Amino acid sequence: MIIVVRNLMHAVLLLILSFVGMAGLFITLSADFVGVVQVLIYAGAIAVLMIFAVMLTPRAARDNAGNALQLPALVLSGLLTAGVIFVVLQTEWREASRGSFDTTAASIGDALLTPFALPFEIASVLLVVAMIGAILLVREE
Amino acid sequence: MSIKTEPMVVNIGPQHPSTHGVFRMRVTLDGERITDAEMVVGYLHRSMEKLAEERTWTQNIPFTDRMDYLAAMTGNLSYCLAVEKLAGIDVPERGQYLRVLFAELQRIASHAMANGTFVNDCGAWQTPLFYMFREREKILDLFEMVCGARLTLNYIRIGGVAFDLPDEFMPQLQALVDELPDRMDEYDSLLLDNEILLMRSRDVGIVSPELAMNASLTGPMLRGSGIAWDIRKADPYCVYDRMDFDIPVGHQGDCYDRFLVRMAEIRQSLRIIKQAMAQLPPGPFAAQVPLSLRPPAGEIYSRIESPKGELGFYLVSDGGPTPFRWHVRSPSLINLSALREMMVGQTVADAIVTLGSIDINVGEVDR
Amino acid sequence: MLARWYDFRDLGNGVARMAQALRDAGAPDGVVYALTALAGCLGILIFVGLTAIVNIWVERRLIGRMQVRRGPNRLGPWGLLQPVADAIKLIQKEVLTPRAADGTVFALAPILIFVPAMLAFAVLPWGEKMVLADLNVGVLYLLALGSTSAIMVFMAGYASNNKYALLGAMRVIAMLISYEIPSVLALLGVVVFAGTMQLSGIVQFQDFYWSWLIFFQPLAFLIFLLASTAELNRSPADIAEAESEIVAGYHIEYSGMKFGLFYAVELVNSMSVSAVIAALFLGGWWTFGLEEFVPGWMIFIGKLYAVYFLLIWFRGTLPRFRIDQLMALAWKGLLPLGLANVLLSALEVLIWQEYDVSAGIVLPIFAVVNFVLAGVLLVAFMRVMTRSFERLPKRARLVPDISVPLPGEPATA
Repeated sequence: MIIVVRNLMHAVLLLILSFVGMAGLFITLSADFVGVVQVLIYAGAIAVLMIFAVMLTPRAARDNAGNALQLPALVLSGLLTAGVIFVVLQTEWREASRGSFDTTAASIGDALLTPFALPFEIASVLLVVAMIGAILLVREE
Repeated sequence: MSIKTEPMVVNIGPQHPSTHGVFRMRVTLDGERITDAEMVVGYLHRSMEKLAEERTWTQNIPFTDRMDYLAAMTGNLSYCLAVEKLAGIDVPERGQYLRVLFAELQRIASHAMANGTFVNDCGAWQTPLFYMFREREKILDLFEMVCGARLTLNYIRIGGVAFDLPDEFMPQLQALVDELPDRMDEYDSLLLDNEILLMRSRDVGIVSPELAMNASLTGPMLRGSGIAWDIRKADPYCVYDRMDFDIPVGHQGDCYDRFLVRMAEIRQSLRIIKQAMAQLPPGPFAAQVPLSLRPPAGEIYSRIESPKGELGFYLVSDGGPTPFRWHVRSPSLINLSALREMMVGQTVADAIVTLGSIDINVGEVDR
Repeated sequence: MLARWYDFRDLGNGVARMAQALRDAGAPDGVVYALTALAGCLGILIFVGLTAIVNIWVERRLIGRMQVRRGPNRLGPWGLLQPVADAIKLIQKEVLTPRAADGTVFALAPILIFVPAMLAFAVLPWGEKMVLADLNVGVLYLLALGSTSAIMVFMAGYASNNKYALLGAMRVIAMLISYEIPSVLALLGVVVFAGTMQLSGIVQFQDFYWSWLIFFQPLAFLIFLLASTAELNRSPADIAEAESEIVAGYHIEYSGMKFGLFYAVELVNSMSVSAVIAALFLGGWWTFGLEEFVPGWMIFIGKLYAVYFLLIWFRGTLPRFRIDQLMALAWKGLLPLGLANVLLSALEVLIWQEYDVSAGIVLPIFAVVNFVLAGVLLVAFMRVMTRSFERLPKRARLVPDISVPLPGEPATA
């Protein structure tokens, strides 16, 4: 529905709904930590970022007017979807055994600090750089 | 990288919980900052100055109640002093002492209201207002005891005061005078040291001494900027030259300084009241004034220090029973003339706080 | 071994007995699960409905008392029917929708803003067996709900088609997402110390070590309390609904019961935040053994109202912050304090677990150290942040005589 709706604001709100749906998918796969973090980060912070970005666009650009490329785009995406569905149906999926439900938070924490410690640190440096950049951009001279 | 924004003109008032009456300000906002402020007054104009030309000198005293309705005593006092100077009437001693007593009581009541609403504008959900109203209620009870009214008093008349004190007045006044210093200490500890109040009102709405002098601001606005000027000391009237009191003066001219000055003035008024109570002589409380008063032809400008500032009356008499010209120099209107300089460069939240600290009374602004 | 079903000290006993009976009767697992969940939901709905009504009365009477007046006392004994009167007044008001407003979003916003408020009650431990959804990531779930309510606020402000409502909504969102970080850090300190994110687990931690977590994490308690008053849009951080500001807030265009829903959501949110504080810091249903005699859930509700009293006390006493002062408080004040708290808690847990020191020796030392450090840090931060306001004296200067030359006199120097 996000791609069909005319109003850009409605599209962003429906995107938030799909984020929550994705969190539900994570929870059905027994990834409780990732599911809740998905809501916290995506629906909470990134969605706010998208809303601010949309608010900054001028009013005229916000309504999705139609254009000439709509029909070819529809055809192309329809073909792509058919291709993906075909591949999905033809694959021999291995079903994971339905084991016991472990809490994932502790294991994610272990993973972040032992084998993946370097990416963790690099990610935090990246975040600091982003924050400093944001502060520099909005500083009043 | 700059985003194109356009300035927005926004109306504050006339219906707004914080404009202290029907007062309207049109501010031009650039984002959050105010770039221009224009005041629109006249919503409470009752054409008192014209109406006063149709009524006799004594019939005009109730008009002065209704101008600054929160400080009726000082309004009466200023007008009566002007008429007495014009007509050459001497007020007996007891009348003068009673006038001083009630003027200072009125000053305490008005400042209690002003400070309470100021802290309300800073956001404190009326709790300090209710606390300060306890003292104001006691003072209004005293007023009711002596002249029958709480707000529109009509007590100070040409030649003296209207009624003498009843017997139960002095004990009740003594009880109030004993209790007030403790209450003021309580407010000092609750309000003056409050960090959030400091953060809201320090460095907000600064009036420099030059601006104060050039815009002829008076009252706590002038004293908050550091200039020590009080008409009770500069041009004493009634028996103020026999009273011993200090002038509280602020440091910087921001809202917090004006708040401090008003709180300190309450304490100084208490000193004056104690001295007046001690020195109150017996005797007549009013001079004999003819029923149809006809002051000789001439003009006069007489002023007093009201809680809001210098309240002056310019009267022109043509020898008849009614005034020829009756003009009020209202302190609130003159204090508002510096509004633009105070507002420009601040945010809207600070604008509300600044307006509260000027302590206007729209009845006086518009007359 | 199930306790007796009529053991009201823990209402979960009755539900467990019912579930056992159903399972014995051969009902499939799904039905048993659904029916127990339904029983829990019913309990929470009753509680939320009752508190939304009672809290209006509690708040107005308490604020009245703090303002040296009585509060509502006209309707019913002690004004107890005042909330009913408020509800009737709101229901019978005309519900206006601005013509150019976004109809669907305008109507959905008050309803959707109720969702996170209600969902927060699901993870709270009301008693030993009384948790509706005992999530392993309970604390994180609560934080996620807090962050989604920011979106609903924006929906309300945007759909009103009113530039002041939008400005108010933007300011509120900025404030909400700024204050999420100190609350996350405060709760992180708690989680590090307790070792689990499960709310019932944290309560059991307090039960096991026979003390409340507030003794070990005073700084986290204060930070979370302050951050929550900002998240709840209550005084001293209530710029969203400030009467004395011109930007009147995101719910300015709402009237009738839609506004009533916003008002009720604020109350229900206060309840859930108070409940979280009571569960995490004040021990939940556990109170030094008192829960043997008094039902645990009653103690929990009592602690909830104690924290709510604190929130009402803040509202009645303190003036309001300006928006930039609020942001400064969050980013420059609470964030460093939260980080210091996390570091300290992690260090302490490390010493405790790695060196396997006995809890009886180490925990009192931790409590004392934490309290001292919390006091020192708070005083230091307060001094630093208010230093610019202290350079001038806080009392007026008394001058005995005028200093300005009178007109007509020669001007002396």
